[in-house]
Parts: sequence; C-alpha cells; structure tokens
Amino acid sequence: MNPVIQREFFGILRSPRSLVMLFVLTVVFSVAVLMRWPSDASADLSGLQSMEVFRIFGYGLLAGVMFLVPAFPAVSIVNEKNDGTLELLLNSPLSAGSIYFGKISGVLLFSVLVLLSSLPASAACYAMGGIAFGSGLGLLYLVLFLLVIQYATLGMLVSSYAQTSDAAVRITYSAVFALFFITLIPRAFMQFTGDWGVFKVVGDWIRFLSPLPAIMEIMGQSDVASAGLKESSTTLGFIVVTIITSVLFAAKTLSRLNYRIFDQSRAQGVITDDQELSTRVARRFLYVVDPQRRKAGIPWFLNPVMVKEFRCRRFGRMQWLLRLIAFCAVVSMVLTSMTALGVKGLGVTNIGALLVVLQVMLVVILTPSLASGLISGELDSGGWALLRMTPMSARQVVTGKILSVIWTLVLVLMATVPGYVMMIMIQPTMVVEVQMVLICLAWTAAYVLAVSAAVGGMFRSTAVSTTMSYVVVIALFLLPMIVWLRRDAPFGRDTVEIALMSNPVGAALSELETPGFETYNLLPAAWWVAAVISAVMFFVLGVQVWRLTRPD
Amino acid sequence: MTDSDVVVEINELTKRYDEFTALDSLTMQVGKGQILGFIGPNGAGKTTTIRILVGLSKPTSGSARIAGADCLTESRKIKRLVGYMPDDFGRYNNMRVSEYLDFFGAAYGIGRSARNKRVDEVLEIAGATHMKDLFVDALSRGMQQRVAIARTLMHDPQVLILDEPANGLDPQARIDMRFMLLRLAEMGKTLIVTSHILPELARVCDLVAMITKGKLRAFGTLDDIMKDIQQRRTFELLLLKDEQVKRTADLVTKWLDQQSAAETLGKSDVTGAEAETMVRFSTSLSDEALAPLLTHLIQQGEVVAQFREVATDLEDAFLSVASGGDHQPQFKASAALPKTADAGAGA
Repeated sequence: MNPVIQREFFGILRSPRSLVMLFVLTVVFSVAVLMRWPSDASADLSGLQSMEVFRIFGYGLLAGVMFLVPAFPAVSIVNEKNDGTLELLLNSPLSAGSIYFGKISGVLLFSVLVLLSSLPASAACYAMGGIAFGSGLGLLYLVLFLLVIQYATLGMLVSSYAQTSDAAVRITYSAVFALFFITLIPRAFMQFTGDWGVFKVVGDWIRFLSPLPAIMEIMGQSDVASAGLKESSTTLGFIVVTIITSVLFAAKTLSRLNYRIFDQSRAQGVITDDQELSTRVARRFLYVVDPQRRKAGIPWFLNPVMVKEFRCRRFGRMQWLLRLIAFCAVVSMVLTSMTALGVKGLGVTNIGALLVVLQVMLVVILTPSLASGLISGELDSGGWALLRMTPMSARQVVTGKILSVIWTLVLVLMATVPGYVMMIMIQPTMVVEVQMVLICLAWTAAYVLAVSAAVGGMFRSTAVSTTMSYVVVIALFLLPMIVWLRRDAPFGRDTVEIALMSNPVGAALSELETPGFETYNLLPAAWWVAAVISAVMFFVLGVQVWRLTRPD
Repeated sequence: MTDSDVVVEINELTKRYDEFTALDSLTMQVGKGQILGFIGPNGAGKTTTIRILVGLSKPTSGSARIAGADCLTESRKIKRLVGYMPDDFGRYNNMRVSEYLDFFGAAYGIGRSARNKRVDEVLEIAGATHMKDLFVDALSRGMQQRVAIARTLMHDPQVLILDEPANGLDPQARIDMRFMLLRLAEMGKTLIVTSHILPELARVCDLVAMITKGKLRAFGTLDDIMKDIQQRRTFELLLLKDEQVKRTADLVTKWLDQQSAAETLGKSDVTGAEAETMVRFSTSLSDEALAPLLTHLIQQGEVVAQFREVATDLEDAFLSVASGGDHQPQFKASAALPKTADAGAGA
C-alpha cells in the first residue's frame, strides 16, 4: 500500500474532529429522514412524500460535501511544505505521481466515509418508494463523488501555490463558493436580458461548474438560472465539466510537485525611492498608491494594530483596496445603467436584488478571511506574546484588528452606493427601500464580522479557525435560503419567515420586493436578530481575548 | 553589590502545575550592566522563569522584581522596563523590517519622528541597517535574530531577556551576536540570556545560573562555579595498545578506591575507550595523593604514553552539575554574586 495514503487517511481519521463530524453527519441525516417519515398507515403512491425526504437529504449531503471536503486538501501540501516533510517525500524513491495519488486518495477515502455516513438515511429514503435507484439515488451519489474529486483536486492545486495554511483554506473556500454560486450569475443575468448568442452558450458552460443545477435536476426541480425549459441535461454537463476541470487541476498540481514548488527566491525588498528617476516617474503614473514606496511612520491618531493588519495582508495594501473598490463601483454602475438603457426585462428591483446578492457574496467571502484569524493568526505566528509585552491593552489590540476589517467592508459596501444612487434616480420612489437595503447590508457585514471573529477566536490554529468560520458563516446564510427554496413544501410560510429573519439578507430582498420574497414581513425583526447575535458574538470574542491575556 | 545595583531580583520563586513543579524556590539577583547566562536542559524551567519575569505567567509563590517593579502586579511598568525576545520570532507577513519596527515603536507609544530615528538607531546597534527595506518573512534565521534584537531595543528597555538568541546561527553570526551582547552590556543594559551553546555564553557572561528540574543548581561567576566544579577533576591516561585499556582501567579503579577509602572521599568514575587507547577518570584527590598512581601503573607493567589533566569548561561544569541531580548541593545566590566593578571582565 502507498505509505502516503496510509498516513493521510489515518491522519485524518485520528483527528477527533473528523470522527465527531462523521458521527454528527450520520445522526443529522437519520434524524432528517425520521422527521419526514410517514406517521399514518396510508401509502403515498405518487412518491411525493419520499421525494420530499430525498430532497432534504440530497441538499444536506451537498452542503456536507461543500463544507467538509475542501478543508483537508487545502492544507495537505502547504503544511508539508512548511513543515519540511515535502522535501523528504520528494527526496524519497516515491514519484511525484504516487505522492499526489497518496494524498488525494487519503482525502477521497475520508470523503467516501462522509458519503457513506448518509447510507442508512438513503436506504430509508429508497425504502419509502417513489425514488429511482439509477437516475435518483445512484446519480446523486455519482454527482457528489465527482464534486468531491473536483474540490479535492482544486484544494490541492491551491495548496501547492499557497504560502500558509490559512491562506490556502481561505482561497479554497472562496473558490468553492465562487464555483457554487458565482458561476450561476452570468446565465441568470441573461435570463433577464434575452438570448445573447454565443454568450448564452458560454453562460451555460460556466453554469455547469456549479453542482446546484445538477442536484436540483436530480431532485426533480426546475434548476436555478434555467430558462424554464429543459434545453439540455445539466447533470450531464456538470459531469463532463467536472471531469475536465478535475483532470486539469490534478495535472497542474502534479506539474508543481518537484523542485518548482521550492524554487522561489526571497523577495529583494525593492523600494521605488531608491530606483532611477524614469522608474519612479513611470510608477507614479501606474500606481495611485505605489506599494513599493517607503512608508511614513504610523501617525499618532491611528491604532497601530489596525495599520499593522492592513500592512500584513497581501491584498490589504491600499492599491489592492482601491482596485477592489473600483471594481465594485464599476459593476454596480454597469448593472444599474443597463436598467436606464431599457434592457429587455431588466427591472430596477431585479437589478437591486442582483446587487444585494453580489454584495452579500462579497461580504461572505471576504469577511471570514479577514476576521477569522484575528487571534489565531497572532498565536500561530508568535506575535501574540509580543503584543502582550507592549503597553497596549487587549481592548486596543482587538479594536485595532476589528477596525481593520470594518474599514475594508465599509469601503467595499460604499463602492456600490453609486449603483443605488442611479437606481433612485431611475425610480425616485425607491429612496426608502434603498435606505432599508443599505441598513440591512450594514447589519449583514457586522453580523458576519462578529460571527467570524468569535468562531475564529476559539481556535489556536489559523487554518482551523478559517475553516470553521467559513463553515459557520456559509451555513448561516445558506440554510435560510435552502428553507426558502422549499417554501411551498415541506416548510410552511411561518417557518420560512423565521428562517429568513435569522440574517438580514432576506429582509433586504424582501424590501426590494424581489420575486419570492415580497410576501414576507421581516423588518425590523431581522435587524434585532442580527444585533443580538452580533452582540453575543462580540461578547464571546471579548471573553476569549480576556482569557488569553491573563498570565498563565 | 549594593541593593541599588540590583536590577533583577528573584526570591523563592516557585511555579507548580498540579503535581508537577516547574520551578522550585528559585532565588537569584542580577546587577546593572551584567549578563546572566541562564543554562539548563530542555524542560528545566528556564522559559517558565522568563515568562514570570515578563509577566506572561504567574508564580505559585515567591516574588520577582525588575528595577523595583513587581513582575506580577506592576505589569505596565515591567513592559516599559523589559525587552523580551522569545525563541519564536513573531513574524508578520508582507511587512518590511522598517514597518515592522515602526509598528512596535508605535505600540510602545513612541512619537513618529522619534520613532523614525529610533528605527535607524536600533538597526545600527543590531547590525541590520542593510535589512531595513527587506520583507520580514523573507529574512534568514540569522537576519531574523538581528531584527528581533532591534525590536527588543525599540523602547530602550533597562533589561533585555533573550531566549536562545544564538539558536540556528552560523559561526560568523554567533560571533557577531556575542559582540552585540557585549555592546548592549556596555550601554548599561542588564541581560538575561538563555542558550544551549555553552561556549558562546562562557565568553560573554558575568554570571551563570544553572537550573535542572526547576531547581537552581549553581549560580555565580564562571570562575566561582569552576572552582567548585574543579574540586572533582578529570584526568586522562593515554596508552600505547588497546588491549591495555581494560587492564589499566581496572588497576586505576582499584587504586582510586583504596585511596578514596583512606581519605573518606566519594567514589571515582573510571571509563576506558579502546578506540582511543585511553582511560579517563575523575577524582577529588589532591595532586599529592594522586602522584603515586603513575608509579603504581608502571610497577604493574603498564606503559603510559601520557598522563594529563583535562581542562574544565562551562560544558563540563554544566554536565557535572546536571548529572548531580537532586543530590547536588545548591548554591547560595547571595554568596555567588560578583563585584559590580568586575562586571564585563569575564567577557
């Protein structure tokens, strides 16, 4: 047996977290099925009841794969590289192929265990009748298994480029999130704007990168971003695209498993101030804020930790923030101006909804990556002991760190204000709705920040804190949407309303009278819920920081 | 040393974790401008002592004061008085060295213009001026150690506590580090330095504290400790043939046992190394008592090429103290204190 498989697989299994995860998943799946198990003696010949159970179970499995699988491959190469064991492996008689195969097999074996934990529930589902084996259960497992392979190969590719384990986790989850949701947007956009010829075909293929349409098709539902008619099988498209992308990811990673992975010179620390005049002039034109200019000291009125946080982030430097803000501003303006230009079928509310969804996605992707490592990042790097030795209080340290996240989020959210201003100019009656939406978005940012920081603060390793923050935040935003998707059955109106109140996104969409959300009355309850949860989370973070600053 | 010269004062310091005693009644004093070498094997209690001194850990009993400030209750004062360099560098990615030092200067509340000047000063002291624009995460281990020293000096502390500053350094970097420590002592800083590289410490320390299993085994100037250690000296007998080794070792053992019994001294250790054709022994016998040994061996027909005493250094002293374990007599801290006028002489 390949020794790498043995080490990887048993390494994952030895972690108590993995065992708890498998146990919890088995229980959750079984309970979900039991809850929907028919209580009367009559048989449902239409198969509707069993389909309901199957859907809960199928989406649950999809969420399980999405949350649990990426974390393991994301750290598998970068950890070995940083611990120095990858050099030993590459220096051993094992080929790069067998190292890669060993590593990915370990992850896949664990993922198979995750899928197997659902077998009792799927057997019960099948026993209820009304679900085909091949085109139902079998196809679901095939799609999920291919998804596992795609996420595992993607995670390992990211891991081969990343410098730290937390960066690897962050980038992998962002990529997974982008593959899952953002790939649906181009096709959904074209749904409003009509057939764009070749762009429609591209949009279709991009949509195949997301597992959601395929799963919805297997569940017998009209999938998201489809035009209502069954033009082609999304499941087949997904299978083809997933196999191709997985092979590409694996090939690229394999090509890096040699000297190339270490062959990096140390940064030379080039400074523009010391360059020739022509270089200095050229850079002055190219950069609004030159990242290579010598910085002035931290001014007295700024919290030093806040400045340090910006400077430590690769993309936290001013030139990157400006690029992000410019991108957000341009996207929001383009979307809104399309309404002004009278693009077919694109109403102001639809654009508003699209803006909200994009902003929430940005917040959900960006915030955990910034906030989850506030404490664990310092503990990991050894900086916490140094910070404790300075005269700064724990409150000042944490305030500086939180401010650095808040500023980034404020800048990003403010960048989309021009889009909303244009919306008001087109339809002046929307002033109040836009105000409500902006308040909802502000609460969303505060809520995600509080949850990410508190969850991240509970762990000492940055990779674990980042993973757990992403899992919790995505779950908090995804679960209410899954409940909303099933708003006709099995969930009743009250249940959906309560689920949507758990975060402010539903309220924002409801204020904009987005189709499907217009009947729910979510304000101001959703704000109160966000405020209370944020307060509790900040309190938890405060307690954790207080505990860590006490002498041992 | 008068009371006013004492900068670091540790009194009956004890730290227990449930049943495990990490520190057992540690008492010592270090004066202004002195360098204390803090020696002990892994897990001896060095880092525990340091963490208590810098306020990161709380003692179970006893007290520790730095420049009159209590390490437990006056942590804000301690933070100003002490510059602490842990074994772990405390790396921040994507920051240049100047930005890194600027951040710590700002954290200590140093004004911007004074801070800019101070960054240049500490980089000059640490011999790291050329690293100013380099990224912290791209520094080699030796470079990181220099930057860490510079960071420790940013707020101009009275006392520097350096945990393994020579760890991972190449020979040239070690020599540079040694000069840097001496320079800091000349500036009037009090230094507490832990290291596993004992010859390095021997060259710079005014005081040495040896600790094993949480107990202070030896404390004082290197000369004082050597005098105590040398009560038990080591000798080597170089023979001509390897078959002589076992025979000679037996003869030496028997002879030493007879002499020791006559003089009520402890048992002597005798070891033979056939590969080196050498017999090595340690004994507390005086030169007069030991002199007839060579005659005895020759009378027994053994040919001895050399008979010599092995010079004792800090490493031997440490091994001797460490192997003494709990039976080793503990040194009195106050009795071993050097005269302040001699500070730096050992360097």
